[in-house]
Formats: sequence, C-alpha cells, structure tokens
Amino acid sequence: MGIKNIIQLNNNAKVGERFSPTLLRFFRRKWLHVWKKNPPGTGLLVFGLSIAMIMSIPIVYVVWRSLFAGTNRWLRLLDQRIPELLWNTLSLTAAVTTSTIIIGVSLAWIVIRTDIPGKKIWRWLLAIPLTIPPYVGAVTYIIVFGRSGWARDLWRDTAWLVNVFGDYSINIYSFWGVFFVLTMFTYPYVYLIASASLRKMNRNYEEAAYSQGFSASEVFWKVNLPLMRPAIGAGGILVSLYVLGDFGAIATLRYVTFTAAIYFQRAAFDTASASVLSLVLIFLTIIILWMESKTRKKNKYYQTSNTYREPLTLELGKWKPIVVFYVSLIFFLSVLLPISVLVYWSKIGISMGALDGRFFGFALNSLKASSFAALICMLFAMPIIYLKARYPSIITSFIDKLSYAGYALPGVIVALGFVFIFNNHLPILYGTFYIVALAFVVRFLPQAMQAGEASLSLLSPRIDEAARSLGYPPWKVMLKVILPNMLPGVLSGGALVFVSSIKELPATLMLRPPGFDTLAVRVYFEAAEAVYHLAAPAALLIVIVSILPLQYMLKKY
Amino acid sequence: MFTKKKILAFIMMGILAITAIGCSSQTVAAPDEEGVGTSVEEAGQLVVYSARNERFVQALLDKFSEETGIEVLSLHGANPLQILEEKNNVRADIFISNDLGALGYLHMEGLLQGSNPEGIETIPVDFRADDNAYFAISARSRGFIYNKDLITEEEMPKSIEDLFDANWAEVENGYAITRGGNGGMIGHVSALRYQWGDEKTTDWITAIKENAAGIYEGHGDIRRAVGAGEHAFGLVNNYYFHQQLVEPQNNNVAFIYLDQGEGQMGVVANAAGVGLVKGGPNADNGAIFLEWLLLPENQVAFVGESLEQLINSQYGAVYPAEVESKIINFSDLKVQDMPIKELGNYFEDTKALIEDSGLDLDLK
Amino acid sequence: MYDIQLKTVSKTYLGTNEPAVKNLSLNVEKGSIITLLGPSGCGKSTTLRLIAGFERAEGGSISLAGKIVSDENTWVPPEKRGVGMVFQDYALFPHLNVFDNIGFGYKEKDRKSRVMEVLELVNLKGFEKRYPYELSGGQQQRVALARALARRPVVVLLDEPFSNLDADLRVTMRVEVKRILKEAGATAIFVSHDQKDALAISDVIAVMKDGVLEQIGTPREIYRYPENKFVASFIGQSNIIKGKISDDGLSVFTNTLGSVSCNHSHCMCAGEEVCISIRPDSIIKDANGHMEGRVKEFTYTGETIDAVITITSAGEEVDLLMHIHPEENIKTGEIIRFKLLPNFVAVVKNE
Repeated sequence: MGIKNIIQLNNNAKVGERFSPTLLRFFRRKWLHVWKKNPPGTGLLVFGLSIAMIMSIPIVYVVWRSLFAGTNRWLRLLDQRIPELLWNTLSLTAAVTTSTIIIGVSLAWIVIRTDIPGKKIWRWLLAIPLTIPPYVGAVTYIIVFGRSGWARDLWRDTAWLVNVFGDYSINIYSFWGVFFVLTMFTYPYVYLIASASLRKMNRNYEEAAYSQGFSASEVFWKVNLPLMRPAIGAGGILVSLYVLGDFGAIATLRYVTFTAAIYFQRAAFDTASASVLSLVLIFLTIIILWMESKTRKKNKYYQTSNTYREPLTLELGKWKPIVVFYVSLIFFLSVLLPISVLVYWSKIGISMGALDGRFFGFALNSLKASSFAALICMLFAMPIIYLKARYPSIITSFIDKLSYAGYALPGVIVALGFVFIFNNHLPILYGTFYIVALAFVVRFLPQAMQAGEASLSLLSPRIDEAARSLGYPPWKVMLKVILPNMLPGVLSGGALVFVSSIKELPATLMLRPPGFDTLAVRVYFEAAEAVYHLAAPAALLIVIVSILPLQYMLKKY
Repeated sequence: MFTKKKILAFIMMGILAITAIGCSSQTVAAPDEEGVGTSVEEAGQLVVYSARNERFVQALLDKFSEETGIEVLSLHGANPLQILEEKNNVRADIFISNDLGALGYLHMEGLLQGSNPEGIETIPVDFRADDNAYFAISARSRGFIYNKDLITEEEMPKSIEDLFDANWAEVENGYAITRGGNGGMIGHVSALRYQWGDEKTTDWITAIKENAAGIYEGHGDIRRAVGAGEHAFGLVNNYYFHQQLVEPQNNNVAFIYLDQGEGQMGVVANAAGVGLVKGGPNADNGAIFLEWLLLPENQVAFVGESLEQLINSQYGAVYPAEVESKIINFSDLKVQDMPIKELGNYFEDTKALIEDSGLDLDLK
Repeated sequence: MYDIQLKTVSKTYLGTNEPAVKNLSLNVEKGSIITLLGPSGCGKSTTLRLIAGFERAEGGSISLAGKIVSDENTWVPPEKRGVGMVFQDYALFPHLNVFDNIGFGYKEKDRKSRVMEVLELVNLKGFEKRYPYELSGGQQQRVALARALARRPVVVLLDEPFSNLDADLRVTMRVEVKRILKEAGATAIFVSHDQKDALAISDVIAVMKDGVLEQIGTPREIYRYPENKFVASFIGQSNIIKGKISDDGLSVFTNTLGSVSCNHSHCMCAGEEVCISIRPDSIIKDANGHMEGRVKEFTYTGETIDAVITITSAGEEVDLLMHIHPEENIKTGEIIRFKLLPNFVAVVKNE
C-alpha cells in the first residue's frame, strides 16, 4: 500500500512536467533506497514531518530573527553584555557541574557499595530533591538565609557567632547562593546515573585488580572510577544542560545568566536583543550536546561483561559516623530543610486562608495547561516512535532529532520563538492558554517519546509480521497490536509530561494570557514580593505532584 | 514493570478525568464564586494589563468583579510596550500604570481611546488627557527615604542636584537607586530633561550610577534595604516611605521632599492612572470600569495598600495611624512646573538616554 | 498437486551485491513437511519471508495453492496470502491472552469452538486465560503454532521454531510439532540450521548454501547419498576421500582404502575423478576386517567413542573418523581392524 502511494505522490508531483520515465524510475529507486525498500504510508509520514516542524520552528525562528537584529545591536551586545553573561553562565555551569559530580558520585558510592545503615531507604531519600524544582528550593533558602531570614535572626542572637565572625554576612543573592541552591537540587541527576553504573559494575574487574596486588584505594582510582567515567560524564552533562537552561532559581536569586537576561530583555520588549542572546545560548547548548554524543559513543565501549556478579559491599568501620553524618547533612539541606520550610509557611498560609478560590483557580489553570499538554504529547509521540521503530531511515532520524530541539534548549528560547510566531502569524491562538500548553508540548514531547519507545522496543517487528500473516492489513495492525502495547508506555510518558508542565516556569511566565496564572507563576511572583505564606502552599502542591512519578524515574536510570 | 506502568497509566487517566470534570464544573461554579446573581456569561469579561504592583491592584479588581459581576482577567507586571506589540491583535481593554508618562506615550502612539466617562470632571485637567483617553487617580513625589539610625535630617541632601557631588558615595553604607528601566526612574529623568536639558541630565545619571552603593530592581527593595540599615538613604517615591512606616520592624525611617527651597525646581511628581485601550475586546466593559473607578469610594480603593496620595485628597483615603501623621498633602508641596501629562512626550527618548548614560535598564 | 511452487525466484538485499536467493525453484506437495536446511546466511529465511510476503522477489514467481501470489505483475500482500507463520521468538501478542492470541486471525462465527479445537490439538486446554509471559518456552511454542493453524492456512511456515528451546524440550517438541502438523493435515515449510531437527521432522529436506539449492530429497536420501561434499559434511559427520570410479561403475578405487563398493554412483562414468563420503557409522570395528589403522586420538562421548584412525597405504596417509561401541577399551597407538559397510558410502562430486 505504502509503495503505491509513494508512486502516486511522485506522479502527482510531476503533473504537467515532462519527466522521462527513466528519471521517474530513478527518483522512485532513490526513495525506496532511503527507506531500505520499506517506505511508510504517506499519511503517517506527513503527520510525523508536521510534528517535527512544529517542534523546531520556534527555535529556527529565533535564530532567524537574531540574524536580523542589526549590526549595531550585535556590536553593543557583543561589546558589553555577552562577555559578562558568558562569564556568569559558564562559571556557574562549571561550578555546579563539578560540585554535583562530587556529591552525586560520593553519595552513589556510599549507598551502593558500603554497609551504611538503611541502604535501601537512603537510595530513595537521596533522589527526592529531583522532585523539588530549584526555584522552589531557592525560595526556601531565601526564607532561611535571606536578609531577614531565620538564619540571620539566629546569628544575631548568638553572641559568639557575632563576636567571632562579625555581623551576619551570608548573602543568598549571590553567585554562591545560586551555586549552592542549584547544586542541592540537581545532584540527583549524577547520583542516579552513577548509582546505576555502580550497580551494574561487575565484581570480576575488582577481583582481577585485587589479585594483581592492588590496594582498595588503588582499585577505586584505577578500576572503579574509569569504569564510571561515562556515567559521570552523562550525569554531568545533564546537570550542565540544566544549569544552562534554568531560569527560575537564577531569577529568584537575582543572578543573571543568559536565560535570565533573555527573559528580562523580552519583559522590556527588546525582543531583538533577546534573540541575539538566545543565539549565543543555543550555541552553548549545542556544544554541550555535542560533548554528550561523544560520551555516549564511549559508553558502548565499556559494556562488555557476560557473567555478572554483584559488587562487594565494603565495610565502613570507624568511618561510619562521619559517612552517616555526611549523607544526613546532604539529605537535611536538600530535602528536610526545604520541605519543612514549605510545610511551616503553608500552615501559616492556610490558617490565613491562602487556600481560597483564587488559589484553586491557579491550581485549575496549572491542571488545564498541563493535562492538555500531556494529551497532545501522547498523541504526537505515537506516530513518531512508530516511524522511528519500524521505518528507520535518514528521514525518520531527522524527524526524531527535530522533536528533541525544544527539549534540549532552554525554555526561554522556546517561549521567545512562540512569541514571534503567534503574535505575528497566528494571532488567534496568541493570548489563549493553548499557546502555553503548546510550549509545554515543544519542551517535553521527548519525555513521552522516550517512555513510549521503551515499550515499543519490547515489541519485535516479528509481531507486526505475525499479525500481517494472520490477515490484518498494516493500519489494522497498528490499531490492534501496536497501539495497545505502546499505550502503557505512552501514558506514563504523558504523566511525566504532566509533572514537568506543572513545574514549568519561564515559558509560562512569558506566554500566559491575562488572568491565567499557574501555581508555578504564583510561587515566582509571591516569592519575589516576599509573600511567603502565599508562595508556600503552591510550592508544596507542586512538590507533592512531582513525587508521583519518582518511582518511574528511579527505574529509568 | 508492566504493573508499575499500569499504575502510572491509571494516575494519568485520573488526572485527565479530573481535568474534564474541572473544566466543566468551572462554568457551573462561577456564579457562586462571584457571590452575586449575575453570572459571568451575562456580564462578560474585562482584560486589564497593569504595570503597578499586583498587591495594590488585585484588591481593586476583585472589588470591581464583585460589584459588577464582570470577570476580570488581569496581567500584572505588564510593560506598556506590550500594548504597542499587540496593536494588530489587541488583547487588553484597560491599561493601569504608575507612570503617567507611559500612558501618555501610548496615547501618542494612537493606542488609547478617548471617551467622556461620567465623573471625569473630578480629575483636575492637568492630570488627564485632553480627550480623557487616560487620567490619573493618585500622585506620588520623588524623594529620599533615609534611616534615622545612620543619618540625621540635617546631614541629608535636600536637592536632587546634590547627587552630582561624589561625596555622597562616602556616607556610611551609601545610597541606593533603582535600575534605569524602573517606571519611577524613567519619569524622574524625563522631568529632569524638561528642567535641565539632556546634557546635564546625562551627567547626573552618570554621577548616580558611579556613586550609588546599590542598584535595585524596584523601590520596594530599596525601602527594605534602607529600613534594615543596609544603606543610609535611597531615591524612591514617597509612598514607599509610608509603606516602610507600617513594617513591624526596621521602621525608623524618614523622608525628604526634594528641592522645596527658595528658587529650587520643586519636587518631581508623577501619577498613577488608567487608560482605555483602543479596539479592546470588551469595549463596553472598559467604559463601565472607567465610570466605576471614578466613583469617590473607588478612587480611594485605587490607592489601597499602596499608601499613595489621592489627587482628590478630599475623598479621604484612609491611612494607618503611623502614616497618617506623616502625610503631606500634594497641594502643600512645591511641585516642579512640568505638567505631568507632558511626560509621555519624553518616554521613548528617556529610556535611550538612560541607557546611553551608562545606567542599565535591567539588572545584570 | 503442489501447494507451494517457486519458479526461478531471486532476491538481492539492498546494499549487498550477492543475491540472498539465486534462481530458486521448489515444489512442495500438499500435506508434506519440507525443511530448508543450511548454515546461517544461506538464504533459507529469506525464502520463507518471500513466501510469506514480507520480502519481494526481483524475479520469478511464487504460487500458493495454485494461485500466483508474486511475479512480475502480481503482488498479494501478506495478509491476503493465507499462510500461517511461526516465528523464531514466537511473536505472541503480549497484550492478549492465549485464547485471543490463537483467535486473533480467525473471524468466523465458530471462533470459540475453533480456538478450543486448536487448543486441544496443541494440548493446551485450560491455558486460555494465561498471558504469554506466564507460559514456558514450550507452551509459547504451542500457542504460536496453534495461532498459525487456527485459520486453516494453505501453508504453515516455521522459522527456526526450536532454536529457543533447551535440548530436552527440543526433542519432545520435534515429535509434538510433527504430530500436530500431520493431524492438521497442513503443508509446512520449516527453516532450520539444525540437521537433527530437519531429519526428525521433515518429509523432504532441501539443503541450501549461498542462496542456491544444493540437494533436495527425503531425510534418508540426503543422509545416505549426499550429492556433494557440502551436503555430506553439513548433515552428519563424514569422511571424504578422493577416488576414481572403477570400470564396473559399482565401486570406487581409492589409493588408501583400495576399491570401495558404493550403492549409488549418481550416474557417473567410469574413470571419473570423484570423492566418496564414508559416514563414521559404516566403519565397523571387526577383528576379521580386511583393513587396519592406528588409533590417532579418541573422544569418549558416552553414547559412543569417536575415534580417529590413521590408515597408511602405498605411502599415503589418511585419517578416518569412526564410531566404536562405548563398551570397548582402546588406547592411542593401538592397531584396529575394521570393515566398511556399503550402506552409508556415497559417491559425491569432486569440486
């Protein structure tokens, strides 16, 4: 059926032109060659291509606009802003990446390889910061360490601190404040990937090293660490992409990196400058993605073992108290303290009537935009995964790559592209909540795709053939066999999209129509005005919703 | 694993079901929420873009919804340029601003709609456009908030020209200003350009940028910082002084109204008001809003928590006791002679001038 | 009447120059079981996929039950060919239970009774409600077979169906599958690289190599009279020795073993240079045997002793593999006398 359609397509394209049959045959052969003689149906292909276009156009548009920003603007920005922003952004990214690697790897090592009491529970507890959006974390740390925070009061009332160190001098609105908050709430990326790699690490390698006369520490540096290197690289890259794209925590702590600068330029309606800065940020992101693809290639090289044996558990001995203290401290700083602060202020807020109609209105807005986005993502993900799994070719991998564009790039850039496109070309949707939901789709579609792909990859192409040989034409195979099997994965992917959308801040801020504030937006604004009793309940609700798919995330790594 | 996915799938379905119910119940529940007989569907909507602090405006809008049954869709922290950007696709009905210059600018660009609402005559002619496309309700004056623990009234500078003097950088903890893009700052610079011309104004901006100990996002940050003793004084609007007075702590502050002396220019004033956007989607409700706002009780409500001064002070805005004694009526001040509605003519150029003088519009 | 007929079918995969199947012609009689046997990459799976319609041939024609399904002008898609296919990994639908898997392609009114009938045929009554992941390998295999048979297909195609089973189960399933297919009266094509599967299950074996049919015949014919060296060594073990057909045309003269009588000469002419294939089973240890050799090495396998003996004659040496009864005691270097039985000696082409 597919081939026939394609031939028809070719015929239609050439109506009125006098192409020789040989040329026609040449095109047809080329086309079949691209698809390895197995082209997909036209409808499916067109649908997939259109989705890919929707996913990438906003970004292409930003690049396009930045090229027409004018030489003067470029020169001014290059001269004044860009060097400073580059320094701010890169130093923060490097510092956070380094510290998350140190914390993530050490925690993974302790939890997986040592006899720390309560191993199984720690494994869970230490992943929880993943569910706390960094901007929420930032708010809690402002409450604790801010200029009029609890820590200052404590300091002021503690004589010896004042005597030894002088007046309270912690400034949370600083590089170190941003650095600390981002570290605390992004280390789980490294921790989870490093744990997975440690769990898979075959004991045989270590025993081979011990039998060569290596000491325990030599084994760590010469065997374990090199084996973990790809995992550390992958985790580090995730963190650096996150820092590069984060807007919420950075803006809340009044630091300025590219994302915040782009946002504020846009807020001041200097969209041309915003697009210039975006181009630089896109460039930075692409460099990191390129590094990522390199580490992934290396990763394959390390996976060689057939006879797997579980790694040895090391005894902590006299180090036990120190290690327990370290792990507890991280847990306290990244989970216990922020959650306690949120609960404390939520209680105050609720007693002051924070859970009023307005609050539920915001919650409903979050729910509306996020579930609409989840629904569209599930719908869009299915044809793309199906194409990718069953019709591998240059064209499908192109479609697949385009779909990842919005996922890899910071949210402010996606939002900027949307502003350009919808205000100029699609005014009907501009100023409706659909534009917010669509931005979520562009940002999070790959989450639905990954989950769906995982379940489709379990379904061998032989299953399709079995159904064909049992009398089902291709479209019916898709409906009766592929869809039911893909659905659980796609649905859980939809759940992930939903949670990510609930947390999303920059695109919502930039695109929300009048009267459409979401929970995330409220957290941001109330915190900026230091109205913590209104910020906390919304933030707490976001955290609670985010905990739902934690189990799935733990499985994924 | 299969079952885990199933559980997630069920959660997902649940969420979708809730959304469906939520969406449908929203329309049903709306009349109850309004608390009056009129349902949203009948009274319709009003889209308000506001550049003022949300806390001051939301209560006013809620009051409006409650009394008229019109649902207000509000966008707080809006930039006047958004109205300009959306001119081919108008979304807003009303623009509320704390800088009359911004309203004047929008009017100049032909984006506001003249009208003749009932009660407009209560606003002095100086505080409204000729065709009443925009008008002011409350006024504010520029001046210094200072921390009495750090500096005395005698030591304080009394004129805006004093800031040319680099010595003010030496005062303990220094002084604070806002970023260049702040609406109050833009209005102030426009007034100085009217008074001094561009060259002297440029020098002044360069001087304060060099000498200020802190540059902040907004005036709220400055009043808190001065109140906490982080800076000796800061350049703000007078009502931020009023707001700091009602803080439970760090409230030992006072205020200098600038250039009140013989031969001096007088205090730079600005005003907050509303404009009717041309071609807005709910033009009728926009007109209703203007007439509603002009009712004396609602002019008072416009001031609300901001603790600004009413232009019609006779309507009796209510201030907390701590503030009441410190209120100086607008009519008792020596005010710079630039008509406030002139500000709009300076709006666009002023921003460029500020940036060229080295003061960034946004914090970096 | 032939149920499956292939005429000069060729298929070249994209990106390769060598055709996977070259000018293959094959006829399968109704109700018979044929096995395509050969090493991996010989084109046997491709042939199966061509018949099923998952691949397209470049040339030739394929007919099923007398109807052309693929040639220059005709293309019948897989779903309309009426074939039943059993896959190597069974390809059971993971989201359907046993009953629905089997009934998947059967849409007649008597669906329930037909499914139960087939379930009984494969001895899986009572498993209707189970899901594929709750079944053992052998049970999955039966479900896959039942699913293929339920629609009463013209032909059943089985792609390496036993390769995922462990040794014991494999032996049972060979018997079982043969019984089921015969009871169902199905025409079936197997694909296998395992000679034991092929010998046990087939009515006819077609040996393939490099996309070409090497030999076709009953299991007995193939084993006893391989036509060439490849078939001789691929199916069972064999000793290949060069020789010349003697004048009477009934025996072959070899330098080392002298004149060896053969049952079959494949119509080759006297004096022609040929090889003979001697199965280890036809070399019998016999104290009165007229030949002798020295034990070079031996392996005790339990069922038998595989011994390699060196025969020296006229200055030439040749090693022969023979089977010795496991009761016997032999030593390396020992001289053994033996005789040759003509039953498993065949003349093969000297290529």
